Amino acid sequence: MTRLVAITTALLLTLGSSSPLAYLKLGATLDGRVIDATWRQQPIGYFISERDGTGVSAVDLRGAVDRAAATWSDASSGMVRLSYQGMTTAAAEGTDGRNTIGFLDRPDLDRVLAATSFMIDVTTGAIYEADIFFNTSFVFSVAADGQPGRVDLESVALHELGHLLGLGHSGIGETERTAGGYRVLGSGAVMFPIALTPGAIADRVLQPDDIAGISDLYSGATAVIDTGGIVGRVTKNGQGVNGAHVVAFNPETGILIGNFTLSDNGDFVIARLPPGPYILRVEPLDDADPESFLGTPVDANFQVTYAPRMVVAPHGGSSSPIEIRVLPK
Amino acid sequence: MISASAFAKGFGETGLCAALVLALAVTSFAQEAPQLRDNRVTINAGITWLGGYDVGTSTAQLRGNGTGSTAPPFTLFKADSHFSTATAPELRVGVSLTPRLTIEGGASLSHPRIGVSITGDPETVVQELRGEELQQYVFDGGLSWQPPIQMGRRLAPFVIAGAGYLRQLHEDRTLAETGRIYYAGGGARYWLRGGHDRSRPIGLRSEFRINVRSNGIDFEDKMRTYPTFLAFVFIGL
Repeated sequence: MTRLVAITTALLLTLGSSSPLAYLKLGATLDGRVIDATWRQQPIGYFISERDGTGVSAVDLRGAVDRAAATWSDASSGMVRLSYQGMTTAAAEGTDGRNTIGFLDRPDLDRVLAATSFMIDVTTGAIYEADIFFNTSFVFSVAADGQPGRVDLESVALHELGHLLGLGHSGIGETERTAGGYRVLGSGAVMFPIALTPGAIADRVLQPDDIAGISDLYSGATAVIDTGGIVGRVTKNGQGVNGAHVVAFNPETGILIGNFTLSDNGDFVIARLPPGPYILRVEPLDDADPESFLGTPVDANFQVTYAPRMVVAPHGGSSSPIEIRVLPK
Repeated sequence: MISASAFAKGFGETGLCAALVLALAVTSFAQEAPQLRDNRVTINAGITWLGGYDVGTSTAQLRGNGTGSTAPPFTLFKADSHFSTATAPELRVGVSLTPRLTIEGGASLSHPRIGVSITGDPETVVQELRGEELQQYVFDGGLSWQPPIQMGRRLAPFVIAGAGYLRQLHEDRTLAETGRIYYAGGGARYWLRGGHDRSRPIGLRSEFRINVRSNGIDFEDKMRTYPTFLAFVFIGL
């Protein structure tokens, strides 16, 4: 007998702050192992709530979501397909068996631009429903070149659809602390948890880290053969480091793809890398609230460290394991 | 012996005469300088020293945070890379088309190391990475020519040019990158035995080359130039 358990989580894209419950990939734990949370049926239908937002209409939202959906579909080589089902009077929250995207009044979340909630079968990892709300506390824009002082709706939609598909947050970004939050200095992924400044439209374009993530979740056989992985372990004083962010940089192509150590033994895997040599950089999770990446306590007391040598991601396989030893701050 | 002045005079009179004098002049030098035997195989075995060279700088960049689509990027770090010097055993086989012109092919295996320097990381100091050790194979073919220059009864200079196939295997031996090598240079052969008669020639050979490498491992995908110095023992078959 199949045991179905419905859970709801929320993933938030924030403006200068961050919020909990996220992974690079969403997952459900079954018998001690983590199962990726993915959609098992395609296309994934969605409805647009009829309610207008601040500065934009529901029709504008539909256009932005359509464009963002097409971007994810292209990046996954068609393995992911999202399909508009129509407008609805339903709000973008609650459990009704429909995937609803729309504006919602959430003045209590004064730094949250948008959020995605799910219903997942924790015995299989199958996603059954997901809703995305955009916070009317913020003024959005759908101007082709962006609009100073307004948040680009398509960029936010692209980020939230990434969550809807099963992706968590990426750690590829650098920030500086500000009063009450963080300010992005540079971002290497649409799935970074903190949004670019209002008016920026750079997050309309998926980055290699985003594409590696969606390929990992919805890859076909060709993607598996054409890409490689890097495996290793981050240690400090001989013990594994949990929650270290490992970034792989290919100096021949310039791409950056990252992942985290997700256990106390410090093991990490960076999958779906274009084959080639990579420089590995390990950094503590201090560019956003650690809880916006991982739901467990992390060790951020170590210095930025590089792997002692370049590591090769081979075609269709993984590197030999490499140990990266970090020092306390 | 036909003197240099006689050669110049003959060249100034008629074309037929010039050709005849040139042939005589070459023959005359050949009587003094040692030569490889024509239509015979020569084996060269020795060591190649490869000079180091930079393979470029690559910058890890994040998208900057600004309005519009062209905000200045944020530099996460820069990686400067350098191929170390290396030595390699090399085997070359040549066939003398004429006593002065030899076609030859060679193969070498070296283990250069790619070192990487990390700079510009706002969160850490400059770091020198140990890099990785490659297996580098070169298979080449070229022509060497011995000019009519007299340097004694045992020593003869030559010039050489050719092209080759480069295969570089990363340290994990799970990924190979390929490229091409073009080279030109010169050197000298010193005959320990033979060179003037039908006896089996044995001698020493040294040469210097300038190599141009295209493709292969490179952070900037540029052509790179580096020197090599080669020292061989040769024996005619």
